[in-house]
Amino acid sequence: MSARRIWVIVPAYNEAAVVGGVVAGITRAGYRVVVVDDGSADATASQAAESGAIVVRHPFNLGQGASIQTGLAYALVEDAEILVVFDADGQHRAADIAVLVDALETHGADFALGSRHLGQAVNQPAARRAVLRAATWFTRATTGLDVTDTHNGLRAMTRRGAQHIHLRQNRMAHASEILHQIADSGLKYVEAPVTIEYSAYSLAKGQTFGDALMILTDLFARRLHR
Amino acid sequence: MIAQLILTALLFGILFYAWIEYRRAPAVGLFAVLAALGGLYFVWVPAHATRLAELVGIGRGVDLIIYVWVVISLLILLNLHLKLRAQMELITALARELAIANARARQSPQ
Repeated sequence: MSARRIWVIVPAYNEAAVVGGVVAGITRAGYRVVVVDDGSADATASQAAESGAIVVRHPFNLGQGASIQTGLAYALVEDAEILVVFDADGQHRAADIAVLVDALETHGADFALGSRHLGQAVNQPAARRAVLRAATWFTRATTGLDVTDTHNGLRAMTRRGAQHIHLRQNRMAHASEILHQIADSGLKYVEAPVTIEYSAYSLAKGQTFGDALMILTDLFARRLHR
Repeated sequence: MIAQLILTALLFGILFYAWIEYRRAPAVGLFAVLAALGGLYFVWVPAHATRLAELVGIGRGVDLIIYVWVVISLLILLNLHLKLRAQMELITALARELAIANARARQSPQ
């Protein structure tokens, strides 16, 4: 698979401080990058563009789930063969993209889900670990998917897989929603070991216990209407 | 009697609202129908309302009717919230189309 047919989608909101470095790391490996600027008030879009990304700008802030879906839609229009979702806050390693792509090809799967539990979580606070464990338990119970890390932003999918994803959860509940849609698609998925490196910056940007409650509310509300 | 007629008219309004909303949000529609039917029954058979109220420890039948009304109001609030979410989905789809079209136009300016 040519790296040029692999599109990396980076949803970003007010990430001017780090997005340039993140994009540069991905483009150095030869991948195409689309940064979805989710209505940032800072220089996220210009930093990303200067570092070699195509920038798709939401006219206003919609949320990470909406940004990922926009990135998937854009990459599909651009004839991407493999689509990778990658966080903008610098906690993922560009080298792990190859690990996910390799997992897709080796196992003939349509989805490769990054797992910090099979790989490494560097500098992960205990409270964050506890929340993630609870989220993993909840998602395993509700989706039936045998996964070890449900809220890992690093995922790869084939074109066919991406065509089965239609995220309607604009905010953080998309992480659970995408797993439900993977389960519903009946397509093959694998987990692959990746490294998540927590920094003071990524922790400040990360989710809190209140966010976890909001995610549960969003998932519940989504089930109440068509 | 006047109060009963007014409450009946309002509860029939809720039934109509629930019927309209059932297709879009079945859970909300169903609960609203049940609450409105329960309310209608208690408005016209207040003795049963009083007996049920005593059974569940509320005290007076009229209080039970007020509680039913509160439940209906909360259901309508929930429904408004769901409508706002549905509208947000439409806005998101529109914003997405716009964002992608703009990005593609920038990539191929001619």
